[in-house]
Amino acid sequence: MGRIPLSYLLNRLFTLFLTVFIAATLIWIIPRLSPVNPVDVMLGRMASGGGSVENSGAILAQLTERFGLNDPWYVQFWLYIKNTLTFDFGISTASFPTPVASMIAAALPWTLGLMIVSLIITFIIGNLLGALMVWEHTPRLWKVAIPAAMVFTSIPPILSGLLLMYIFSSQLGWFPLNGAYGLNTEPGWSLDFAGSVLYHGFLPAMSIVVVTFGFWALGMRGLMITVQGEDYTILAKAKGLRKRYILYRYMIRNAILPQITAFALKIGMLVAGQVLVERIFAYNGMGKLLYDAILDQDFPVIQGVSFVIILMTAVAAFLVDLIYPFIDPRIRHGA
Amino acid sequence: MSVLDIKNIHIDFPTSKGVVHAVTDVTLSIEKGRRIGFIGESGSGKTTTALAAMRMLANPGFVAGGEVHLNSLDGNTNVLHLDDEQMRRVRLRKISYIPQGAMNSLNPVMRVDAQIWDAVVAHEGGLSQADLQARSDTALDGVGLDPKVVGRLFPHELSGGMKQRVCIAIGTCLTPDLIIADEPTSALDVITQRHVMQTLREMQEKIGAGLILIGHDMGLMAQSVDDIAVLKKGVLVEFGPVRKIIEDAEHPYTRELISSVPLVGGDSFLSAQASPPKGEKLDQPLLELDGVSKQYGAVTALHPMSFALDGEEPKIISIVGQSGSGKSTMGSLMLGFNDPSAGQVRFKGDDINAMSAGAKLAFRKQVQAVFQDPYACFNPFYRVNHALKFPYENFGMGGDVQTAMEEACTAVGLDPSLVLGRYPHQLSGGQRQRLIVARALMLSPKLLIADEPVSMVDASLRATILANIHDLKDKHGISIIYITHDLATAYHVSDYVMVLYHGHVVEAGPPKEVIGDPQHAYTRLLIDSIPWPDLDRDWGDADDARAALDELARIGGTPETVYRGDIPGFTLGQG
Repeated sequence: MGRIPLSYLLNRLFTLFLTVFIAATLIWIIPRLSPVNPVDVMLGRMASGGGSVENSGAILAQLTERFGLNDPWYVQFWLYIKNTLTFDFGISTASFPTPVASMIAAALPWTLGLMIVSLIITFIIGNLLGALMVWEHTPRLWKVAIPAAMVFTSIPPILSGLLLMYIFSSQLGWFPLNGAYGLNTEPGWSLDFAGSVLYHGFLPAMSIVVVTFGFWALGMRGLMITVQGEDYTILAKAKGLRKRYILYRYMIRNAILPQITAFALKIGMLVAGQVLVERIFAYNGMGKLLYDAILDQDFPVIQGVSFVIILMTAVAAFLVDLIYPFIDPRIRHGA
Repeated sequence: MSVLDIKNIHIDFPTSKGVVHAVTDVTLSIEKGRRIGFIGESGSGKTTTALAAMRMLANPGFVAGGEVHLNSLDGNTNVLHLDDEQMRRVRLRKISYIPQGAMNSLNPVMRVDAQIWDAVVAHEGGLSQADLQARSDTALDGVGLDPKVVGRLFPHELSGGMKQRVCIAIGTCLTPDLIIADEPTSALDVITQRHVMQTLREMQEKIGAGLILIGHDMGLMAQSVDDIAVLKKGVLVEFGPVRKIIEDAEHPYTRELISSVPLVGGDSFLSAQASPPKGEKLDQPLLELDGVSKQYGAVTALHPMSFALDGEEPKIISIVGQSGSGKSTMGSLMLGFNDPSAGQVRFKGDDINAMSAGAKLAFRKQVQAVFQDPYACFNPFYRVNHALKFPYENFGMGGDVQTAMEEACTAVGLDPSLVLGRYPHQLSGGQRQRLIVARALMLSPKLLIADEPVSMVDASLRATILANIHDLKDKHGISIIYITHDLATAYHVSDYVMVLYHGHVVEAGPPKEVIGDPQHAYTRLLIDSIPWPDLDRDWGDADDARAALDELARIGGTPETVYRGDIPGFTLGQG
């Protein structure tokens, strides 16, 4: 507990950097193993747009030069690493000549907003319900209702999304069908816009919460059963502590610890987005960006998105490493 | 005046196979300031009876009949009639509980003093921080812990004995009428056990509470309580003053419990065999440790040690020590589960850590092991036959497996028709442990390494299982390394004893010398700390227990070895 030793911090930072570097290298190698030549793809796209392309050979050579594909691999790699570290992921081949970084910058806030908010909601609801499944003082009705609600977990998110859209948009008309904000609102820091974003984000967030809370609830249930049988929980009761205090300070407080690690790992995964949820609600996040890029064989975008996902996961894991000793005194900032 | 009256209580556990009557018609009174021991084997209902007074029965147990009167309550004194909030206020303030698991009874994420504060606040409402601090300081000081240091620590930073003293501090901080201590020292070694038990007695006398001490150790009971209640299968079979119970018990079960405690110098529970069969004559010792030491990081678990066991005539060599003494490390080194940091472990002259795969297989067949936990030794998905059959076939033993299994079961006193074909969970701990011995026997090994083979088995079965193990030597010519913390059993079964402390042998020789007449300060301390079921033998008071800890500190980390004589067939390297 207490201050984080510098040596530990440096150690974790080094691990973070190494993870990101290795991941970045893999991201660079894997597309190069693919038989697809991105320049051919671009040319093909031009051809399908305008019939035939004149001077195709010259364009091909020019593009190849422009993308640096004539350079030896180590020059390409060096440039790639140098650019990646400055968040310069190059230029999209599908939406030429938009820089990948600006595409990601446009998509990321939407995904972070939607996914992280829904993750936090799911984490709280899921863990609380999981704990209540075990707690001896939970009202009987809840003990029946919570496991019954687990049914939703087995529904794929596309279906739950469609279901929610049908009920709340199409039938009741309470929420919009698609989009991340209203067409007649101007994006900006206004109350109007914020309200519109929340209004549009509600259904996609709910469709994620509904299908994923079971993951947390079931995990928490198992952890709670262990904690419930621990001697400290029995002693807490024998001390005459109030039952809610025991639930929060003795049971959930100990059972939640492994869930926090899982939470950090989920952050990274969620940046990739619930691709299908974003598709259904036409929500312009990272998932949709990645999905489109794969369809278009847009390698720079795929690389850029993958890198951001890995970076988020590594940073989240790094933060958990730093936070963990403060929430679990048994873990020390060791050498 | 009685603090608690239990009248005709019945406790039932409804299960899928019908209702289990865990406690049947128990009537008892606990007087103020008096200590009463609840003794019985696991499943005898001793904990269940005591917890009924706190209304803390494990699910799905419930009180099916009877009354529990807590006489300091106003109005209706029957605790079974209180509502949940009234019951909560009774816990700790009127009846406190000290749990069994010393290792895990404190919340791992809260500091020690915060765990005293929450108890005080739950019963007395919000106090100022200064008042709370004063309360926790007094409580910790009472059990001999420095509040300035220990209060700020987390549970994992305390030793087992310190944790249990914190539990005593919590259990006495509101001066309850009654303390229920559920095997409070079962996870502690004898020296710490004496200290914790004396601390508990001291605090209990100071606040004048009644004490229910739950346990299975007749010796500890004899030294700690005023009255003893003996329970068997939920029935109170005998109740009376401790001297009456120990010296003149009426019920045969009570006498069995008392006689099952092996005594140093007492009658042996083994039937001596005139001439044990000789092993084969070997050019090399059967097992030899040559300057073996083991380090885990900066910690030295075992200092360089040499001995040779020739194995021509089977012997039982005991390695005795407390937790952390390095005795289990020695066991795993001898089994080749762990590489020594220096030196060699040789079996019939071959270094066991440099063997070819074939030689290793032959070594595994000839050196078998029995471990502490009979529950963890079986794969729960297979019938026990699998555990017996698999090594037998794997090592290519000739002959009929079924016959071999039946013979081995009979040899350890089990009826083959009752145990074979069953799943592990259908057998008792004692049966499982005997099956483990039977499995080892089926392979006709040369050497058996038994690491605490009886410490998790009910007291009444210990003697039987040790007799089984002793028979392996006498009837089957197997040499045995017996690793234990229990000096009394080592005294009876072994031919040679080594006392281990901090990875050093502090005293070694024949058991009559080492345990019967200890010379090293540490061995003496161990023997003095054992609670004997003999009321005329003084266990000392709290000051003696504290003096013992000081003595231990004086012995330090690098003690001298006291050699107490040799036996043929075994040589301990000197120096």
